[in-house]
Amino acid sequence: MAEYDLTQKIIPYFDRHLVFPLLAHLAESELFPVEHVQAAQYELAKGTNMVDYAVSLFQQLHPDEEVPPEFAAKRENAVSTNERLQLEAQAVLNVIENPEVAQALRQDKNQNLQYLKEHYNVTLEQINALYNFGKFQYTYGNYSGAADYLYHFRVLSTDSDLVMSSHWGKLASDILTGKWDVALEELNTLREAIDSRAPTAPGAFAATSASTTDPSLMQLHSRTWLLHWSLFVYFNHPEGRTLLLETFLSPTYLNTIQTSSPWILRYLATAAILSRKSSTGALSSRVRHSIREIVRVIQMEEYQYQDPVTNFLKELYVEFDFEAAQRELSKAETVVTNDFFLGEFRDDFMDNARYLISEAYCRIHQRIDINDLSDRLNLPHDEGEKWIVNLIRETRMGADAKIDLEKNVIEINRPPQPIYQTVIEKTRGLAFRTQALGAAMSRSQQPPPTMQQNETQPAVVEGAR
Amino acid sequence: MSRFFRQAGDSDSESESSEEELMSSEDEAPKPAKPAMSKFLRSAGDESSEEEESEEEEEEMSEEEAQIKKKSRFMRTESEEEESDEEVKRVVKSARDKRLDEMEASGKLMDNALKINDWVAISSEFDKLVRMVQRQQNVSEPVPPFFIRTLVTLESSLNSAVAKEKEAKKKMNASNARALTAMKQKVKKVAKEHENEIKQYHAVSRISSLYNHRITSHMYQDPERFEQEYASHAAAEAQPPPPKVKKVKRLVGETDEEDEEFTTVGKGGKAMAFTPESIFKNLQLVQEARGKKNTDRSEQIRILEKLLEVAVTNYQRIRVLLALVSCRFDYNSSVSTHMPIDLWLSAQREVDQLVAIVAQNPAYSIQESTEDYDDLAERSPETEKDGVVRIRGSIISFVDRLDDEFTKSLQNIDPHGTEYVDRLKDEKGLYSTICRAQALYEKLGHQEPLSRVIMRRLEHIYSKPDAVVRALESAVAAADIKPSIVLDPSEETTDLIHSLCVHLYKSNNSLLRTRAMLSHIFHYALHNKFHTARDMLLMSHLQESIYSADVATQILYNRTVVQLGLSAFRCGLIKEAQLTLQDIFATQRVKELLAQGVHQQRYQVLTPEQEKAERQRQLPFHMHINTELLEAAFLVSSMLVEIPLLASIDSEEQKRKTISKSFRRLMDFADRQVFTGPPESTRDHIMQASKALQDGDWEKCRDLIQDIKIWSLMPESALVKEMLAKRIQEEGLRTYLFTYAPHYSTLSLSLLSRTFSLPLRTVTSIVSKMIWNEELSASLDQSAGVIVFHRIELSRSQHLSQILADKVNALVEQNEKALDQKLGQVTSWQDRGDGGKGGKPGEQTQERRGRGERTRGGLRGGARGGRGARFAQGLGNQMSGAQRNR
Repeated sequence: MAEYDLTQKIIPYFDRHLVFPLLAHLAESELFPVEHVQAAQYELAKGTNMVDYAVSLFQQLHPDEEVPPEFAAKRENAVSTNERLQLEAQAVLNVIENPEVAQALRQDKNQNLQYLKEHYNVTLEQINALYNFGKFQYTYGNYSGAADYLYHFRVLSTDSDLVMSSHWGKLASDILTGKWDVALEELNTLREAIDSRAPTAPGAFAATSASTTDPSLMQLHSRTWLLHWSLFVYFNHPEGRTLLLETFLSPTYLNTIQTSSPWILRYLATAAILSRKSSTGALSSRVRHSIREIVRVIQMEEYQYQDPVTNFLKELYVEFDFEAAQRELSKAETVVTNDFFLGEFRDDFMDNARYLISEAYCRIHQRIDINDLSDRLNLPHDEGEKWIVNLIRETRMGADAKIDLEKNVIEINRPPQPIYQTVIEKTRGLAFRTQALGAAMSRSQQPPPTMQQNETQPAVVEGAR
Repeated sequence: MSRFFRQAGDSDSESESSEEELMSSEDEAPKPAKPAMSKFLRSAGDESSEEEESEEEEEEMSEEEAQIKKKSRFMRTESEEEESDEEVKRVVKSARDKRLDEMEASGKLMDNALKINDWVAISSEFDKLVRMVQRQQNVSEPVPPFFIRTLVTLESSLNSAVAKEKEAKKKMNASNARALTAMKQKVKKVAKEHENEIKQYHAVSRISSLYNHRITSHMYQDPERFEQEYASHAAAEAQPPPPKVKKVKRLVGETDEEDEEFTTVGKGGKAMAFTPESIFKNLQLVQEARGKKNTDRSEQIRILEKLLEVAVTNYQRIRVLLALVSCRFDYNSSVSTHMPIDLWLSAQREVDQLVAIVAQNPAYSIQESTEDYDDLAERSPETEKDGVVRIRGSIISFVDRLDDEFTKSLQNIDPHGTEYVDRLKDEKGLYSTICRAQALYEKLGHQEPLSRVIMRRLEHIYSKPDAVVRALESAVAAADIKPSIVLDPSEETTDLIHSLCVHLYKSNNSLLRTRAMLSHIFHYALHNKFHTARDMLLMSHLQESIYSADVATQILYNRTVVQLGLSAFRCGLIKEAQLTLQDIFATQRVKELLAQGVHQQRYQVLTPEQEKAERQRQLPFHMHINTELLEAAFLVSSMLVEIPLLASIDSEEQKRKTISKSFRRLMDFADRQVFTGPPESTRDHIMQASKALQDGDWEKCRDLIQDIKIWSLMPESALVKEMLAKRIQEEGLRTYLFTYAPHYSTLSLSLLSRTFSLPLRTVTSIVSKMIWNEELSASLDQSAGVIVFHRIELSRSQHLSQILADKVNALVEQNEKALDQKLGQVTSWQDRGDGGKGGKPGEQTQERRGRGERTRGGLRGGARGGRGARFAQGLGNQMSGAQRNR
């Protein structure tokens, strides 16, 4: 199953520290030889200031070799730098933590700077010390400390590049400390920041950023990074999957996926499948129709990227080949299990996928052999029957579908929709849409965001490609 | 000098009264004087010409002629610094002797022409001679003896020529034959006039030739002179001396439009004039003459070729080559015709030479703008301040011009003849020249010309199949100077194209970037990489801005889109192919839009300039995309899309919504025919196939489609046919279901599978898809293996209300779109939803294109509307724009 492992593809889009959990997962899943993974971990740790960790990894890797002496020196160096930076940062921190100051600070950053300078003699360089210290803490693994310092820095600093960089830093720290609520918040601010301006690279926290200065290219880069980083948040936050669909299906990000990282489609597809049940009604149309949308994208990008998860959707909704879909599903099961982000959702995924299959199956067929359906769902006969009964009970199909145990079939009797119903369906959104139009006209300066909510079926366009 | 001027001069001297004659005789006197003197004289002449400018046209022309005479004389004096005895003697000749000399010269010309049987030349020379003799008589001077002799020889050779002509009729061309008959008349007439002399001549000729000569000669006043003359003649006839041979060659080379004055220079000073020392002076002379009205361009080229032979230093060679190449390009002044091929070939060789010199000697650099330097001084790296000799010139423009001339010649040569193929073979040489230039610029690090040269290179290979590209590249690999990007035999051509394009993407020139992008897409499409090509086209956003591009780029864009459509067709993506090709076919001006033929407009006559511009844009034949194949691909894909659609629609109202108007029109036309014979053209085939498909007779449809001969032009035609057969089966099934569903309540899947010889699984899949998409109101009964149809009949009012709901929906959508446009949202959400309906990126492209066009149409007052005109709009608009600029 190693062929479907995405780790290699996504690592370039992560920060060094964010890769540790990925590698740790790989070591557990045993897709690759353990030595290789350990070597990779060691290489990764070598570049950070987490000297002790690197040393322990080295010892694991070469149990019978001496630890290279440069680690000691590096350690010395790190400790001394830490002290120096801490001293510098402490001065500012003392001032800021003073309650008087906290009260005096306002929205206007320039005014704040002025104030600090006048009363406490805090200069811009000193504020930058906060950033430096935060960054340093991050490099040796003290993520929560880093998050704090970067937060303070961001409140004070006016240097947009550094602020951007501190955004990324804070997000990484939050992810690594596992504070998903905070991270989500941070993610949203960062996304706004990226979308609102021609952005800079993820700065200091981005290990590899393009040397080019083309702003649109930079924006593409930032968005790709954001897509990857957000996977951490979205697959750990309870509301994450829905939010993921919201974000990833918005045109700009969908374009980013299609342009620079088609493998994200796996996560998108999985999220769409997973969010099937949570549809409590309060969802935007974008999420409700996500599957249809995603199938289209998958079809379009088929030549670039495909894996069992996307193939499953394709076979189910494009080819309507239930046998092939079932085959792909069983493959997808292992893929999902082995994936770092998706591993936990395996059961959910299978449940929902089965539901999708049976829904499609029932919609097309009038009379279904229960055994056959159980096969389609990858379930033994008894469980299959139970599953089908549950399905019928849970959904609105209840009135239409009947199980005939004598013949061992399900009879589905779907009366055609009355004509007035279809007309009502068709005209339902019109009044609202017209209102939105009016609203947009009166606010003709800004593009109306409400219209987006109201779309029946979002589709992709290569707008930003 | 042109013949016209000489004639003018002749008539002048004939009248004997013009001051022109006086002036020339005056001129002759100071001839042996020093060059400075004649220079002075020339300037005097210039002044006088200025004064006389207000006078008659003819006067002015002869004035000019006089100047040129003077100039060439000046040249001769220049060369006479080396002093040859003969020259001195000639110089002291009187005006009368000079006339005799002139006659003698034409006599010689006639002799030479006789040898090659060129009667046109003979006839004109003879006219001249007769005129001169008449003049001679006017001034009461006797007829020169050699005239008589010439007359006699002419008469005899005429007789023999006529006899020969009778034997072998095909040997002479029309003009020559005409000249021969004319000559016969003329000689007869003149012979009658000089009857006595001829008789005398004949009588004497019976005696020994020497006697004959003496006897005749004593009738004339200048026996010594004559003797000399005659002796030289005899010698010439016996064993022609080297200079004369050269002259003959020259005469063979061109017509008789020879400048006599120049001839003398050639004769006397040739060996001496072109020395390494005098190169720069000669160069300057040539350059001064350049561009003047009556400069003999071929003569100039010859001088420069000579100069090149004697050039010693690199500097000299570079200078001469620069002048020579531009001179060759000057040779053809007209824009409409192409440069003679032999000239082109030598120009190409010389550019190669030039590139080689500059590449080997980095101390010499050719730049478009340099500091002023002395044209006459020799320069070398040592004499320059920074060790680099900068010379004014531009290799890139030579390369550009070479390439353009190549294209032009291909445009003008009949593409079905062998000449065209022969000409195409020169592309290899041209291609390696371009690559050499690229290597040179890479070495020098000049970015701007480098990009241009790479673009040229790209344009030669982007549309070619792999084998041709490899052949071209092999020539480059063999060359001594190689560019950094060459095709490794193990590599794919795509890699080569890719690296060339990537280089161009980095350049600052947006036009080059656009063209590189389009070529790149074209190449991908040609290699059946439809998805890559499509994504690139969409990412480039070219469809939004292509309307403002120049015509050539628009043509390239059209070509690219068309190729993309064909590629989709080859890949079996019928819907995409149909959508992509539809736009261009809707215009019904396919050939014009692809620059493969001039369009005949029905209501509008093109002005000559427009037509000329149009012709210049035409692509050479070997780059054409076969329009018949294109049409076949389009119509077949239209058929596969349209026929099931037609079957699915049941009301007349909906029928009007068509996908492909042009296809529908053809269908209607075919329907109206009372009698349909067996199919002949591609269209017939497709129309009858469509009929068969409508009737559910997929086998007949398949056979008809596969019988189309044009498929053989498509690469991998067998695969394409197979793909088409499969599509026809599937679409046939769909059509069948649509058409006959109302008549069944259940239908067995296995029956369908047998009827359409499709696997059961495919049938199930197709039916499921139709049910899922609500195209078919039915469901499957798995246990029985049948389709169960639930058809509901709609009442009239129900139907109407449904239509009404649809219309209201459309209205709101239109409103939203309008608002979007007003707000100027480029990538608006609404548009996306719209494009989503088509579900294919091709549709989106068109949506966008459509939008762009609509706004533009509005700006221009909406002169032409509708989707169909979209393609044309860009071009047409551009054309009128160009005219406005003019």
